[in-house]
Amino acid sequence: MANASLNRKFDRIRAREEAGLNTPQSGSRALRKLMGNPLAVAGVVIFSIIVLASIFAPLLTAQDPQKINLRAMLQPPSAEHWFGTDRTGRDVFARILYGGRVSILVGLGSALLAAIVGVGIGAYTGYRGGWVDTIALRISEIFMAFPQIILVLLLVSIVGQSLTNLIVIFVLTGWGGMYRMARARMLSLREEEYVQALQSFGVPTVKICYKHILPNALGPIMVNITLTTAMFILAEAGLSFLGLGVPLSIPTWGNILNVAKDIRVLENNWWMWLPVGAVISLFVLSVNFIGDGLRDSTDPTLQG
Amino acid sequence: MLTFIIRRFLVTIPMLLIISFLVYLGLELTPGDAVSYMIDPDTASTMSDEDFLALREALGLNKSFLQRYGIWVFNVLQGNFGHSLSGGVAISTIVLDRLPATLELSIFAIVFSTLFGCILGTISALRRGSVLDSGLTVFGMVGVSIPEFFFGLVSILIFALKFDWLPVGGRLLPSYDSYVDHLPNIILPGLVLSMMMTAGVMRYARAAMLDSLGREFIRTARAKGLPEWRINIIHGFRVALTPVVVLIGFRLPTLIGGSVIIEEVFQWPGIGSEFIEAVRGADYPLVMFIALLSVFAVLMASLIVDVLTALIDPRVRLS
Repeated sequence: MANASLNRKFDRIRAREEAGLNTPQSGSRALRKLMGNPLAVAGVVIFSIIVLASIFAPLLTAQDPQKINLRAMLQPPSAEHWFGTDRTGRDVFARILYGGRVSILVGLGSALLAAIVGVGIGAYTGYRGGWVDTIALRISEIFMAFPQIILVLLLVSIVGQSLTNLIVIFVLTGWGGMYRMARARMLSLREEEYVQALQSFGVPTVKICYKHILPNALGPIMVNITLTTAMFILAEAGLSFLGLGVPLSIPTWGNILNVAKDIRVLENNWWMWLPVGAVISLFVLSVNFIGDGLRDSTDPTLQG
Repeated sequence: MLTFIIRRFLVTIPMLLIISFLVYLGLELTPGDAVSYMIDPDTASTMSDEDFLALREALGLNKSFLQRYGIWVFNVLQGNFGHSLSGGVAISTIVLDRLPATLELSIFAIVFSTLFGCILGTISALRRGSVLDSGLTVFGMVGVSIPEFFFGLVSILIFALKFDWLPVGGRLLPSYDSYVDHLPNIILPGLVLSMMMTAGVMRYARAAMLDSLGREFIRTARAKGLPEWRINIIHGFRVALTPVVVLIGFRLPTLIGGSVIIEEVFQWPGIGSEFIEAVRGADYPLVMFIALLSVFAVLMASLIVDVLTALIDPRVRLS
C-alpha cells in the first residue's frame, strides 16, 4: 500500500524530469528564501533604484547641484526643476541625487569598515580567549557605555567636522556591536568538533578562525551590516541637520534637510525638505526590509 | 542580595574613572587653549604675554595633565563640577536648570511608548499571521526608518503650522507657570519621541509574547480549562513582561541621548539641546560633564537592570 503510493510519487517525479521541468534550483537556499519574501524584494528594488539613481546622477539631471542661480531662487517644482530650487537657486532634485552619493557612502562605507574592525577583532579574540579577549571586551564596554549620539557628538567636538572624521567617528561608535556579535558566535563555534579536528592537524590559529569558522558566522554579520547601515544613514542625517555632521559645502541628505530648521521654509517651501526626508525614510526602510529578510533567511532558529 | 548589589556597584567605579580619564585626555588633545576661548579677540590683542601667563596660572593650566586630572576628580567628588566656558556659569547650575525638562520629556515618552508598545505587540502576537499583524509589523519598520527629526518637522507642519492646534516648540510660556498651562507644549515632542520608541518596544513585546505563548505552562493552563483571555494576559503576558522590563531599563539612559535631536527640533530647553550648544561652542568642560553624566546614567541603568533580573531570576544571583 505504502509502496504503491511511493511508486506513484516517483513516477510523477520521473515524468517531470523527462519533461525537463525539474531543473536544479540555482543559487543558495538563503538567497532563494530572501527572494521569496515580498518585503525583502521590495527592499532590494527600492534600494537599487536609489543607489543607481545616485551613481548615475549626471544622466538623470542636467542641473548642477552646486550652481547658484540667483534668478531662480525658491522656485516651486516645475518641469525644469522637478523638486524646485532652494534659497540660492540650486536645483533640489540634483542635490538629492548627488547628496545620495555622499550619504550612502558614509552609511554603507562606515558600516562595512565597522564590520571589518569589529568582526576582525571579535573573531580572533573570541577564538583565542584569555587576556586578549578580556582586554578587547573591556575596551568595547568603554565605547558602549555612551549613548550613541552623545559619543558621536563628543567625538565631533574633539576631532572636528569633516567627511573623513565623520566616517572614523561612525566606525569608532559602531564597531562595538559587531565585535560583540562576532565574539559571541565565536565562543559557541570554537567548541565544534571540526575546529578540534583542525587544531589537531596543526592548522594555524589565524587560518582556523578567519578561514574555517568565520564563514559560518556570515549570516548574522550580514544582518548586522544592513542594520548598522540604516543606523548610520539616520545618524548622518541627524548630525548634518544639527549642522554638526558633514560640512555644509558638501551636499548630503542631512545637509539638504538642514534648511527646514527655519520655520518659514518649513511652512512655505515644502519642496526643499519634504522630498529629501521621504527619500531618506524610503532608503532606510528598504535597508531595514533587506536586513529583516536576511535575518529570516539565514538564522537557522527561524527556519520552518 | 545586598552583597550582589554592592559588588555590582563597585565594578562601575573603575569604569567611570577610566572613561572620565579618556574623555579628559581627548579634550586635552583638541586644538586651541581654554584661555583663547575665554577672552574675546579684541581684549586678547591688547594683553601682554605676562598677563596670559598669569591668567593661565590662575586657572591652573600650567600644571601637568595628570595633576589637572587629579584636581578635577577631587573637585567632582566634592560636588564642584567646574564652570562653563561661555558665560562662566557653574556647570551644576546649568544641569540642574536643564535636567527637569529632559526628565519630563523622557518620562512622558517612556510611559507612552511602553503602554502602546506592549499593547500593540501583544495584539500582534495573539493574532499572529493576520493582516493586523503584518500591518503592525510594517508600521514598526516604518517607525524605525523615519529620521526622528523629520517626523518631528512634519508633525510641526501639520499640527502647529497648518492647523494651529499645538504650539511649535518651547516649554514654558513666559506668563504661565503651572504644569497644566504648559501641557500643550509637551504633547508634540512627547508623542514624536514616543512614536519612535513604540516601534522598538512593540517588536520586542511581540517576540517575547510569542516565545512565552509557545511554552509548556500555556498548554497546562489551557488543559486546566482556563478562559483564553486569562491564559493570554495572566499567564502569557506576565512571563513576556520580564524581557520587556529589561529593554525599558536599558532605554532609560538612551533617553538622555535619544531626546537630543528632538529637543533641538522643538526648542525644548533640556540637557540635549544644551549639549548641542556646548558642542557647537566648543565649551569643553560642559561637553565633558554632560557626556560623563550620560555614561553615569547608562552604568546606573545597567546596574538597576541587573539587580531587577537578579530579583526576578534567582539563577543570576547565585552564579
